Amino acid sequence: MQQPNRLRPFFENITFDREDNEMIVNFGPQHPSAHGQLRLILHMQQEQITKAHPDVGYLHRGMEKMAENMIYNEFMPTTDRMDYIASSSNNYGFALAVEKLIDVQVPRRAKVIRMMLLEINRLMSHLFWLATTALDIGAMTVFLYAFREREYLMDIIEDYCGARLTHAAIRIGGVPLDIPDNFLHDLRVFLNKLPENIKDYEDLLDTNRIWLMRMEDVGVIPEEMALSWGCTGPMLRASNVKWDIRKEEPYELYDEVEFEVPYSDKCDNYARYKVYMQEMRESAKILYQTIDMYAETVKNNETELMAHAPQYISAPKLELMTQNYSLMQHFVLVTQGMRPPVGEVYVVTESPKGELGFYINSQGGPYPYRLKLRAPSFWHTGILTDLLPGHYIPDVVSIIGTTNIVFGEVDR
Amino acid sequence: MRAYKPKDDVQKKSYYTDRYWIAPQVPTSKVEDDAVFAADLAAIKAKFDVSDAYIQVEQMVVYIKPEDNYAVLELLRDELGYTQLSEMSAIDWIAKQGQFEIFYQMLSMSKRKRLRIKCFIDEKQAIESVSPLFRSADWSEREMYDMFGTIVNNHPYMKRILMPDDWEGHPLRKTYPLQGDEFAAWYEVDRIYGKEARAIIGPEIRDSAEVDRLDTERFSRLGFEVPMGAEPKAADAEPTVETLQEEGGVFLVEKFDEADGHIIEDRKR
Amino acid sequence: MAQHQVNYSQDGGLPIALTSIDKVVNWGRSNSLWAMTYGLACCGIEMMASGASRFDFDRFGTIFRASPRQSDLMIVAGTLTKKHAEFIKRLYDQMAEPRWVISMGSCANTGGMFNTYATVQGVDRIIPVDLYLPGCAPRPETLQYAVMMLQKKIRAEKAGKAQRPKRLL
Repeated sequence: MQQPNRLRPFFENITFDREDNEMIVNFGPQHPSAHGQLRLILHMQQEQITKAHPDVGYLHRGMEKMAENMIYNEFMPTTDRMDYIASSSNNYGFALAVEKLIDVQVPRRAKVIRMMLLEINRLMSHLFWLATTALDIGAMTVFLYAFREREYLMDIIEDYCGARLTHAAIRIGGVPLDIPDNFLHDLRVFLNKLPENIKDYEDLLDTNRIWLMRMEDVGVIPEEMALSWGCTGPMLRASNVKWDIRKEEPYELYDEVEFEVPYSDKCDNYARYKVYMQEMRESAKILYQTIDMYAETVKNNETELMAHAPQYISAPKLELMTQNYSLMQHFVLVTQGMRPPVGEVYVVTESPKGELGFYINSQGGPYPYRLKLRAPSFWHTGILTDLLPGHYIPDVVSIIGTTNIVFGEVDR
Repeated sequence: MRAYKPKDDVQKKSYYTDRYWIAPQVPTSKVEDDAVFAADLAAIKAKFDVSDAYIQVEQMVVYIKPEDNYAVLELLRDELGYTQLSEMSAIDWIAKQGQFEIFYQMLSMSKRKRLRIKCFIDEKQAIESVSPLFRSADWSEREMYDMFGTIVNNHPYMKRILMPDDWEGHPLRKTYPLQGDEFAAWYEVDRIYGKEARAIIGPEIRDSAEVDRLDTERFSRLGFEVPMGAEPKAADAEPTVETLQEEGGVFLVEKFDEADGHIIEDRKR
Repeated sequence: MAQHQVNYSQDGGLPIALTSIDKVVNWGRSNSLWAMTYGLACCGIEMMASGASRFDFDRFGTIFRASPRQSDLMIVAGTLTKKHAEFIKRLYDQMAEPRWVISMGSCANTGGMFNTYATVQGVDRIIPVDLYLPGCAPRPETLQYAVMMLQKKIRAEKAGKAQRPKRLL
């Protein structure tokens, strides 16, 4: 039997203070529109927010601590659970960081497959963002439509790696598998249909009176504020900074593909919505080009999928089965783990949410000495402290929606 | 004799390291190799003490004194164009040298360069907050305090951020075990039901391979099933080597009967 | 006005179905399980997917409600951390009897891969659980199967007798 006083909240849900008419409202941590486990403590005058304290950590699982107690390959599936809307982008960020640390070159076909996975993940993440944000604002139809398209993508990615949500589809040094036979066909069919779908969403939302009222001139993040708070990705691009890591510090083969970086100088929720929609189109454009690039690797007979670095990465299966020394090395790599050189590295990638950085400090052992995950959503949640004051309570929901925060990433 | 386990670093260690293993180094280059970084470093050196600086994996690393952190970051932001603080945190070197290493990861969008400012502070030493310069440091410093217990001066809201307010210990210190200490193990039970409920709810099961053969609620007993929740009786007991033997023994294998056995009295017989 | 003659001895007998109160009540309960949206982490996304257009949970009479007061079923989808634990208990206490709990995914079952200081090692340390659902993350089909299993369980329960509230302590 629960004792009535044991679970007393930190403060009551709503308190009325008669002297200055201030009200304190507790929002979350289990609120259907909080996109996970966000808790906001809002000080309000009438319906206007005067002070906001985001309280995070309700999904803190100690990933950085886990990384210090795991060999590098073991940590890969854990990265899936960071930004679980787009798992492969986390896998990729970690793999790239370790590759920079041990300095290996990834074969071209693996790079093409990785880019496909990354862009599919970006599409999945943006579709999910659109669905949930629209649902929070009350547009149930868009939610159902966007989830329908997302399921197509999930089927495609399931064909590749067998999982819907937590892919673990990328390895340090390459990718584990070549793409299956019907993958490119399915992808092309989806991409041909995607512009129509995006147009459908835009027809539903763009000039919708309610959507405009909830989005336009709400949640304005000025450029200085976005930079100061460490905003990245669409949050920064909607605040008039044209900064996309794929373009500015290209990794993988992003310098070979053509795409635009959408940005806006309006800085409000609506600008962010438009940036997301435009990014979906650009992702589709990149995916078309990667399909051609893949065909090229097939023509050039580049079949390598994993980098050749026997000290760090296991040899291909054929070699393991035929050569004793490879098998011995493989055994050591699996049981003890690879030992990267002593040093540190901070590697960034453009995840669907923004700049995803991995700081790894290696002391030459099989376990990282320190691994810091720089998750974009952490700062996109922090900005709510400065962004929410002055807004009204219905705006909270639409602002949380457009910041696109995922709590696996905020709390890690 | 039990193997010695260091108390100041309880993280997992490799079970085997070659005696002659010398870890290779990530190659570093001189700052002079890169014109942009060289100019930046000269500007920092003109005003502050720089103990070490080099370029590693395309990024410059600069070691400064911990007292200068605010001024250096101000210089970087206002004069050198490093407008964003991407990340900051600490590294625990207490076991080795009794210090925390603090790093600030900076980004300049105009130069497309990233650099890392680092400094060492003692375990009990406080560091100045940079949150007036970069708002992002507000939350980073809170996280750093939460995870390492490093104190930050002049911070607007110095509270734990990821762990609960009443948490004990700083999880990312090397002295903190991965699976938590005594306080962590009972935190939710103590908080919700009270200490007196510990005996009823029981300790956490941390062994992922744990199977309780007497717990018929949660584990099936393959081949020797009893109804769910029932007490397994002697008749349902698992077979031993003796009970598996056929009655009368197998051809060429004699069934061991304890009564037939005799104890050897004389060891030297 | 049309006259209908009902021949009670023929044509399938009486227009009456005889059953027990238990069955009627449980039929009602099991076919309108309103679930509380308790998406905590990755499994919450799969829970949303099972409610969305492709898997369409409404077919089962399962509608997601945002309030504990209106729901019969709590689907704990995701990692429960020690910081969050008190809230799950509080929300569970706010649900009206009869109530059921599905623990969805490895993290909610046992702590799963997060064998760390911050994770509750199984949600059954906090609230009583009716059904454990393995997987990381379980597919939407798995969740639907779990709800079907729960319906089966409910139909086997006694409805007439005052239900003994499930408690851990």
